[in-house]
Formats: sequence, C-alpha cells, structure tokens
Amino acid sequence: MVQKCYFTFPTTHQAIRAEKVLLKTKKEFKVVPVPREISSSCGVALCCTPGEAEGIKACLESEAVIVEGFYTLEEKVSAGLLSFLRGREKRGE
Amino acid sequence: MVKKTVYFDNAATSWPKPEGVYKAAEIYLRGSGASPGRSSYTQAIQVERQVFETRERAAAFLGAARPEEIIFTLNATDALNMALKGILEPGDHVVYTSLEHNSVNRPLHSLCHHRQVTATMVDSDPTGFLNVQEIANAVNPQTKLIVCTHASNVLGRVTPVKEISRLAREKGVYFLIDAAQTAGSVEIDLQDIKPHLAAFTGHKGLLGPPGVGMLYVRPGVRLRPWREGGTGSRSEEDRQPEMMPDYLEAGTMNAPGLAGLNAGLKFIQETGIPAMARHEQGLVQKLVAGLREIKQVQVFRPPGNYPSTAVVSFILKGLDCGEMGHLLEHYYGIMCRTGLHCAPNAHRTIGTFPQGTVRFSLSYFNREEEIDYALQAIREIARGLQ
Repeated sequence: MVQKCYFTFPTTHQAIRAEKVLLKTKKEFKVVPVPREISSSCGVALCCTPGEAEGIKACLESEAVIVEGFYTLEEKVSAGLLSFLRGREKRGE
Repeated sequence: MVKKTVYFDNAATSWPKPEGVYKAAEIYLRGSGASPGRSSYTQAIQVERQVFETRERAAAFLGAARPEEIIFTLNATDALNMALKGILEPGDHVVYTSLEHNSVNRPLHSLCHHRQVTATMVDSDPTGFLNVQEIANAVNPQTKLIVCTHASNVLGRVTPVKEISRLAREKGVYFLIDAAQTAGSVEIDLQDIKPHLAAFTGHKGLLGPPGVGMLYVRPGVRLRPWREGGTGSRSEEDRQPEMMPDYLEAGTMNAPGLAGLNAGLKFIQETGIPAMARHEQGLVQKLVAGLREIKQVQVFRPPGNYPSTAVVSFILKGLDCGEMGHLLEHYYGIMCRTGLHCAPNAHRTIGTFPQGTVRFSLSYFNREEEIDYALQAIREIARGLQ
C-alpha cells in the first residue's frame, strides 16, 4: 500500500509560511485539502512522500513554522484511477 | 478533454466579476483616492457622492425605504456580529436554526458564554425545510430575536423568511435575516419581507469585491455600536453621533470596494435577477440530472420545485470529499469547496457530519460546457474507483 504523509497547521497563515519556506528548498511536496479523517484547525495541509517527511519536518522546525500535527495515511485513491489521471496529465489533457 | 479552468466556488466568493467592477475600483484608486465624508475638497466630495450613490442603489435594489437604512460593513459576518452583539443583552433569549453559518453560530456561542444570553436551535428537516411552527414553539417570554439564514449555503434551499418575519412581529421579537447566500441570486424586497435587520455581503451574488458588506437596520431598531470612532461628523463631541449611517460606520470606508459593489449592483439591475436566475437554475438542473446518472454519486438536493440558490452538494461514495476536491482541481482545473462549508449543523441534519460534501456553486458567468466538462470529470473519477 502506498503511503502519504501530511503536515497540518493551526492556521492557513502557518501553512502558507511552511510552503514559502519549503519552496526555497528542493523538497517535494504539495499543498492539499486536509483529508477528512484528520482533525485539523485549518483546511490546507502539506502532503509529501514518507521519504521526504523527515527533511521537511527538520526544515519547518528550523524556521519555527508552527505545525499542528503529522500523519501518515494510506493512499485512498486506487492505483488504477491514479494511473489513469496521471496518464491524462502526461498527455497534456 | 483538454484541462480547463472552471470556477465553481461562487457561494464563497463570486468570480469572475462584471467588467465594470474591475474598472470602478481602478478608477477610484487612480482617479480620486480620497476619504469619503472627511474633507470638502472636490475630489473628496466626489468620493462621498460615489458612496452615496452606492448606498442609494443598494437601498433601491433591496427595497429599503431610505438609503440611511443601509449600513456599510466589511462583509456579512461583520454585519451579523454588529446586529447580534448590538441587540442582545444579558438575560435575552434568541432562536436560530440548524442551517446557520458559523458567522451566526459563533457570535451566539460567545454571547451565550460571556454575556448570559440563551439560545435555542430549531432543526430543519434533511431537505433544508424549516417548519415555521417549530420556530414559533421555540419562542419564549425572554426571546428578543429570531435569526435565520435566507438560504442554506450547503443545500441552497430558500427559507420562508416572510412567514418567519410575520411570526416575529406577532410575537413582538426582532427578526434578523442572514442574506449572504441570496442577495443578487434571489429577489429581496425588504418592504415586503419586513425584517428588523438583514445582513448582506458584497462579494458573492452581488458580484462586488471582497471586503464590503451591508447591514439593513429598520428605523426604530437601536443597536449598540461595537465600533466607534471618526465619522467626519460632530467631531467636537466625544460621543458617537447618533445619526444613521454615521452611528454604525466609524472609520475610513473601503471606498474602492464600494465602487466595485456599486458596479456589481448596476450589472445585476441591468441584467435582471429573473434572467440571471433562469440561467443559473438551468445549469443547476443539468448538473443535478447528470450527477444523478452516476450511480456512486449521492446528491443532496431533494426533488421538487422550490426556490433555491445555485448550490449543489454531493458526495462520491468511496472517495473522501477533500480528496475528490483535490483530484478535480489538480487533474481537471475545477475549483470547488469541500468539507463542512462553515455550517456543521446543516451537515448533521443531512447526515454528512463530519466528512462533509463536495459543493459546486454556480454563477451567471458559468456556461453549459463547464457543466458537461465537470460531469465528464466526475464520471471518469467514478469509473476509476471501480
């Protein structure tokens, strides 16, 4: 099962600060809506692969970004759907 | 199917705006730029005239008897806070409904905890229908106010505000309408509905920029201002001037926002709400019919003909709605809102708490092709889930 990691924040302000900090690095992440099974004070989260999570955590800590929670969840979107959607994206559709 | 940019979040903030809205804000910022109501040089008077015109237009548009009955605010939340905190005193009771937005729920919660106000919530049925008799039953001798949204921001169904208003007058209590979702999409005639107070925002159906809203205050209704300060009038006095609108409008106004709101109102007056609503409801019907054909989709819009806004809530079974929102945006460029839409009790009523729904909210500027495109996207995602 593919896993994804999520950082949540107390306010959208902190989430955007986190994005700004991370954009200066080469780390791979996405700003996404918070999955419903996670309880979070604000509606957006940062999502990354488990491999990137430690580095991102350290980076956010060093810049004193206030993180509310950290979660590892299983990818809910089926592999079939994801490969279809990524295929669309690759074809420039 | 080429990826498009489709905006379906008009119940949060309408976009795009009519061309005149962009121009009006720019003309103010480049051309006049002064404070309304403070100075008497030509440019400042010009801005004052523009604020006056906006107030006059809004009053005529909403059916207020006089422009001074319209108070400019930051948005509907600001207007609702002004109304609720300006009227409710310790010991007062208030009746509200399960369809309310947090812009009503949260000020009431704070009033109940810090100002000894009590509140009773009346539930709608799962279709968003409010029984006026149940509201009547919730009124007690301490009740000072009934507050009710004009339409649920989750279900879109318009509430029977005229009957609730009649009930409030019979019971001798105040009636406050939250018209954030309806103004500009549904005809509103304040002379006909006769509420004591009504809250509006400029950035949704009225097609203006964010940062401007309005509070209608019927003559004779006395609110305690929670914001006091400079008005440009009676400057020698420490006391807040009691003349409306100055009484409730301390501080420099958002003049470019108001210029934009004026242009938004003008566009709606020229186009006509019936023509706009016909277009929007045509799109809603097409969307709902298409969604109902997808077997994993559950649409929260009861069958039948009743007045409603252009809001459609749905879920795709087997996929978290936040995830759905992300897939729609990332792969299809469709922007919408997912989750609880700041109205947790409405979701409790329809059985979608705490996961929420996906909400498409349409505007006059959406096109039929966009509905076809969105339905195709949802069909593809639904197929991929199997």
